[in-house]
Amino acid sequence: MESFFESLISGILTGSVYGLTAVGLTLIFGVMKVINFAHGSILMVGMFAAYWFVTLTGLNPYLALLVVVPLLYVFGYYLQSLVIQPIFVAEKDVREPITVIIVTTGIWYMLDNLALLVFGAEYRNAHTAITGKIFEISDMYFQWPKVIGAGITILCGLYLYWLLKHSRLGKAIRATSLDREAAMLMGIKQTKIYNIVFGLGCACCGVAACVLVTLYSVYPTVGVAFDIKSFVIVVLGGLGSIPGAILGGVIIGIIETVGAQFMAATWTELLMYAVFLFVLIVKPSGLFGHKLDF
Amino acid sequence: MKGLGKLLVPVLALAITSVFAGGVQAAPATIKIGNIIPLSGPSASVGIQGKQARELAVEAINNSGGIKSLGGAKLEMFYTDSKSDPTTGVTEAERMINTEKVNLLTGCWNSAVTYPATQVAERYGVPFVVPVSVRDTITERGFKNVFRLAAKDSWWTRDQFQFLKDMQKEFGTNFKKVAFVYENGDWGTGFAAGWRKLAEAAGYDIVLDEPYPSTVSDLTPVVIKLKRAKPDVVFLTSNAADAILLTNTMAELKVNPKAIITSGGGHADPSFMKAVGKNAEYLFDIVEWEADLNRPGLKETNAKYKQKYGTNLTGEAVDAYAATWLIKDALERAASTDPAKIRTALASTKMCGGDVGLLAYDCIEFDQSGQNKNANLVIVQLRQNGNGMDRITVWPKSVRRAGYTPVFPQPAQ
Repeated sequence: MESFFESLISGILTGSVYGLTAVGLTLIFGVMKVINFAHGSILMVGMFAAYWFVTLTGLNPYLALLVVVPLLYVFGYYLQSLVIQPIFVAEKDVREPITVIIVTTGIWYMLDNLALLVFGAEYRNAHTAITGKIFEISDMYFQWPKVIGAGITILCGLYLYWLLKHSRLGKAIRATSLDREAAMLMGIKQTKIYNIVFGLGCACCGVAACVLVTLYSVYPTVGVAFDIKSFVIVVLGGLGSIPGAILGGVIIGIIETVGAQFMAATWTELLMYAVFLFVLIVKPSGLFGHKLDF
Repeated sequence: MKGLGKLLVPVLALAITSVFAGGVQAAPATIKIGNIIPLSGPSASVGIQGKQARELAVEAINNSGGIKSLGGAKLEMFYTDSKSDPTTGVTEAERMINTEKVNLLTGCWNSAVTYPATQVAERYGVPFVVPVSVRDTITERGFKNVFRLAAKDSWWTRDQFQFLKDMQKEFGTNFKKVAFVYENGDWGTGFAAGWRKLAEAAGYDIVLDEPYPSTVSDLTPVVIKLKRAKPDVVFLTSNAADAILLTNTMAELKVNPKAIITSGGGHADPSFMKAVGKNAEYLFDIVEWEADLNRPGLKETNAKYKQKYGTNLTGEAVDAYAATWLIKDALERAASTDPAKIRTALASTKMCGGDVGLLAYDCIEFDQSGQNKNANLVIVQLRQNGNGMDRITVWPKSVRRAGYTPVFPQPAQ
């Protein structure tokens, strides 16, 4: 029983970190209707930034948030305005611009290989103050980085929720998401909104990166491990929904951790996709998705 | 006349060739050795190490008078790039035999290249010395001309269990519960199959047999399971990222087995030791060869190698170096360039110490299949040394680093 609770709680904690990695993806999709294939690579960029911050300054990894998050915001903002926007302009009459997806794939390959050139294929672990710290409740052990990560996920989710629901910017973002032409007619500058949203999506990757750097090795293809999971989480939770992404992450985390107690770890992957398919069949729009696509 | 001329030309040609052939046979100026190794592509670094080691050995052999029983014939090395590609390996083997007329072949490091290339050599009856290529079946096809120096794949798990048995005996323990955790690719599942058989044969109790996907992002579930299974000895096969994750998570969740035995790969990656630091303390890893082996002549050879090429010897280099001396020894005993005689000489090899003394075992001797039956692997223990980690050879006991006592079982954390 103890190991069941241990794995359940551990699964929830791990899952919320997965959720955090997926938030950026769902945000960008929700507004821009673009599946960002470079998502994992942007996470990787964030992890390298966090790794170097921690390694060079020796400061607490969560202080890296103050540097990495703005950095990734700016990175995303200009990536969208300089690389992706021109494609949008060229494809402006298409409702779901496929070419943009191909461009994000290109960005993925470019970033991964650039990192390989610059940093090499080596696995790096940031030796942070929090890495490896655990706490114990009656013979159950939990990792502090995951507990803090779960806390950060909740804060990040709440902040985004507030931003989208109650701020002026959020209203503009939602308006663009609902109908970009109508929003433009209302005087909302679509390109600006897209830049901001892409920046925000990348900033979320930055948050996730600072959490992950305390748990995981950093290497050029690290994004791939989280990429596929993020896609599953986002679709499971409902494309475009932020609470959906976090809940989806938690579900995947629980399946992975609790499932592994009853079967070989290889099989949990199968279970994960089985649940995923089941949800898609029962509720194709995902747990929190809208039935109708606006 | 016309008809006669047609007949005469080939007859003359035949006569001339046989005169030349006979002449070469009598006093060969050089013995040609073809080396098919990866000199470009993903395995180029090991190929180049092998080439350098061969050159070091050939230089020493030729400077000390070549093959004395063949009138001081010198060894002449032909190197060709396999590009780690089986097709290229086969073409190059054909070319070496037919165009360069080599007396012997060596190579090819990549099992996938060695496997078909040795087939070519077998067809032409040219002896083929394989320094390193681990696939079991290379020497299991009933070939007469293929001789392998290094241990084969299945011996890795064999030696891991032999090591455990020897350590239990040396330290008077009786551990029964073993756990297997391995990546679910070809490599990991292959190891696990070997472990299962050996554990059953030796009467161990398998408390956990757990594959995990090699692209995993979190190993906490596996580690929780491992903790609950309470094994005495944990066997691991992992790539670098998962080896790091597994070792750190096991330390964090306070999994306390009596010994951890790993299978090279990720656990031998330099970035592994850097990333896990003292969490890997006391871990046992298996390797082909280690630089700190307690062997005569190793330091001197290493110094010569380092002076010439700027790096230390590696397992690949040592096997290639020993293989070159093995060829010299066989030629000396064959006293002929006749492939059949060289083959017989190779088959009856018994080379101990001396020029091949830097190997991890005592003698080179081949069994019926052409496999060096004495080849074994080496087990090292990871120990903290200042800020870094040290790999200290502990097994076989005959090559254990002088003055070191292994820590077994490992102390509880």
